[in-house]
Amino acid sequence: MSLKQTFLENPERRYIMFGGKGGLGKTTFSAATAYWLASQGKKVLVFSVDPQASLSDIFQKDIFGKGPVQIMDNLWAQEIDADSHIKAYQQEIRQKILDMYGLDKVPDEIEQYIQAASSEPAMEESAIFDAVVDIVVSGEYDYYIYDLVPLGHALYYLSMAKVYDEWINKITKLREEMREYEEMVSRLKRQKETEEDEILRELQYIRGRINASSGILTDKKKTGFFFVIIPEEMILIDTNKAAELFAKFDVPIMGYVVNRVLPRELLGQDIPPYLKNRIAMQDKHLKDIDEMFGAQVAAHVPELERDVTGLEMIRQLSEIMYGK
Amino acid sequence: MSPENAQEPKKGFFQNFKEIMYGMASHDMSRYALRTRASMEHLFILITMGDMIGIPILPPYYSLRLLPYVVPQISTWKRRLLREKDVSDAMF
Repeated sequence: MSLKQTFLENPERRYIMFGGKGGLGKTTFSAATAYWLASQGKKVLVFSVDPQASLSDIFQKDIFGKGPVQIMDNLWAQEIDADSHIKAYQQEIRQKILDMYGLDKVPDEIEQYIQAASSEPAMEESAIFDAVVDIVVSGEYDYYIYDLVPLGHALYYLSMAKVYDEWINKITKLREEMREYEEMVSRLKRQKETEEDEILRELQYIRGRINASSGILTDKKKTGFFFVIIPEEMILIDTNKAAELFAKFDVPIMGYVVNRVLPRELLGQDIPPYLKNRIAMQDKHLKDIDEMFGAQVAAHVPELERDVTGLEMIRQLSEIMYGK
Repeated sequence: MSPENAQEPKKGFFQNFKEIMYGMASHDMSRYALRTRASMEHLFILITMGDMIGIPILPPYYSLRLLPYVVPQISTWKRRLLREKDVSDAMF
C-alpha cells in the first residue's frame, strides 16, 4: 500500500511517527509528510522529541523553544527546549513549597535536592516526555507528527511510559495502604473523616498524564509508526531487531520507508564502476527488504541531488513520497 | 475546642467512661497503627526521594511533584533512617 493510500484509508490515524537509526531521514520524512498533510488542508503540528532536534535546520527557521511556530498555512513546527522546561518546572515546585508553608526561602537541603534532581541523566528525556503530553493532550491539531530520536533512545522513550506506570502503581498502592491505617486510627479514636490525601491525588494526576501518553503510543487506531531504512546490511539487521522490540511495547508499526535508493536510470548512462557496484549492492538489499517486509514497504525514496532543507526541497520530496 | 465544649468545661461521666474504655481497649491498637503508618510514610519518602540520602531509586522527574507535600517530614525521616540502631530499639 502506498503512503498516500495509508493516510487516505485511515483518516482517524492522527499520530504519525518516523523512527529509525540516526541520520537516515526521520526529520526529512516528518517534514515532508507534515508538508503534504498541510497542503491537503489538514492542520498539522510536527514536533521533535530529540534534545538535538533538527527541525530548525530543515525549515531554515529558528524554532527552538519557541512553542509551536507557524511555517506555512496549516503547518506548525515545534522543538521542545528541555532545559527551560526543567527550569520552569523546578520554579513551580519551589513556589509551591513557599506557598504551602508560608516560607520566604526554600530550606537548603530541599533546594539542594531540587537542583540535584535536574542533573539526573534521565531528566531531559523525562522533561520532554512531559512536555509532549501537554502537546498531544490538547488535541487542537488534526495531525501530530513525531520526529523521533534515533532507535535506542526511542526505545528508552517508549519504555519510560511503562516504567513510570509501574512505579506509579506501586507507590499508589503503598499510599492507599497508608490511608487504610489512617482511617483505622480515626475510627478507633472516633474522629470524623480523615482529610484528603494530597499526595494520592498528585499520584493520580501523574498517572493520568502517563496513561494519556502511553495510550497514544500504543493506540492501533490513532497511531502509525513508520520505520525509515536504507538499503544497507547493517541498517536492515538493526531495524529488524528494533522492530521486534517495538512490537513488544505494542507500538503499531504501519510500514517501512526506504530512503536513499539510487536512481536506476543511471545504469543506462556511462557511469563509473563505483556507482555500478553501489547500485548492485542496493539491488541485493532491496530484494532482502522485499522478502523481509513485503507489503509493509510503503515507499521507496530516491537519493536526491542535494540535501533537503528549505520549503521548496521539502515540497519536492513530498511530491515524490505522496504524488502531486 | 468546639463551642459545645466551651460551654461545658467539665467532662460528663459518659465522656470519661468512653475515654477510659478507649484507653483500655483501643489505645494500643491505634498507637500501633500510627507507628506502622509512620514507617510506611518513611518507606514512601525513601522510594520517592531516595536520592536525597544518596540512594538513586528512580528518575525523580515526577518525584519532584511530590516534594512539597513531604517537606515537613524530611528531617525526621533522615534522622530515623540514618541514625544508629541498638538493642533498645527492639524494646520500644
